[in-house]
Amino acid sequence: MGFLTVLKKMKQKEKEMRILMLGLDNAGKTTILKRFNGEPIDTISPTLGFNIKTLEHRGFTLNLWDVGGQKSLRSYWRNYFECTDGLIWVVDSADKRRLEDCKGELHTLLQEERLAGATLLIFANKQDLPGACSPEQLKEILELDQIKTHHWQIAKCSAVTGENLLKGVDWMIDDIAARIFTLD
Amino acid sequence: MSVVREKRESIPNKPVAPLEASKAITPEDVLRLTKITDTYLCDPDANIYDIDFTRFKIRDLESGAVLFEIAKPVPENVDENSEKNVESDEPIDPNSGRFVRYQFTPQFLKLKTVGATVEFTVGGKPVNRFRMIERHFFRDKLLKTFDFEFGFCIPYSRNTCEHIYEFPVLPTELVNEMIASPFETRSDSFYFVDDFLIMHNKADYAYNGGMST
Repeated sequence: MGFLTVLKKMKQKEKEMRILMLGLDNAGKTTILKRFNGEPIDTISPTLGFNIKTLEHRGFTLNLWDVGGQKSLRSYWRNYFECTDGLIWVVDSADKRRLEDCKGELHTLLQEERLAGATLLIFANKQDLPGACSPEQLKEILELDQIKTHHWQIAKCSAVTGENLLKGVDWMIDDIAARIFTLD
Repeated sequence: MSVVREKRESIPNKPVAPLEASKAITPEDVLRLTKITDTYLCDPDANIYDIDFTRFKIRDLESGAVLFEIAKPVPENVDENSEKNVESDEPIDPNSGRFVRYQFTPQFLKLKTVGATVEFTVGGKPVNRFRMIERHFFRDKLLKTFDFEFGFCIPYSRNTCEHIYEFPVLPTELVNEMIASPFETRSDSFYFVDDFLIMHNKADYAYNGGMST
């Protein structure tokens, strides 16, 4: 294999992004994943493992990982941190009762060394539900302004209507690309 | 994208198909293959992790139509018609669970973007560095290679993976030949855990009509 081939290979590999989607159970991670990929969302059951999608988007190969959020599964999240370029934290904006839990899990996660370089997108999901917290409210409750270690943004969305999903993901891709593909 | 870890020192030889007997099959070995294998390169009982494929699905991203789906019933209702669709006219042999026959119409070869989903369950042991390598051939011509590392799998988990990909553009003569030669398009799917081959499945494909959707 010639040097040029090797270079090309590396480049192809570089165009790959690994995006990990986490959040409490019932936050809507799998629904977001399916909606984003044009699949029906009427029969989604709790994820007792992972769901992966690999797809081409804007010239990048995205590997999207959705790992189940039930309490018993959270200790396994760390097995999926390695090589993560982007972290999507999904919040059920209408589940006010569990926002404290949500805040705790998020801030614990952000201390992980292996996630240190990752871009963070917080999806304020379920905006279609009455009583859903706004992104501004969530920013306060989840103490997002304390996050200094990651590039982050919070975006409202609804996995059911599809609102804002693409925009959020595109922001994340731009941020990752600017960070790791600067030699292009 | 996989995690670089120390390779395990010399995994003892597990029983494999007689032809390959003396040496463990590595990912590099199967990536070098230039045609479909004659035999299964591992025993069915090499699957010490109880990994079980419970669903295969192919959909057309443009229309959203599901073109093929075969699923094992969930354990609660195992009693009725299990494993539908798996080729029916071949005699039962110990490898039957490792083989799937797909029958498509010629239109299948004209699709632009396809999503291929597998769903699998894992037994009580955690699985490290689970990797799938799939090689598709028409006769001795390599059409496509998938090489994907799932990585870690949670004990007793149910997992899915969908690869959404642009269908490779094939020359018209090749397409016509593939349509005219049912089941000469074939694939080998190799599954490794920690670089050790634990499953080998085969499939073949016809594109000359047959299946009604």
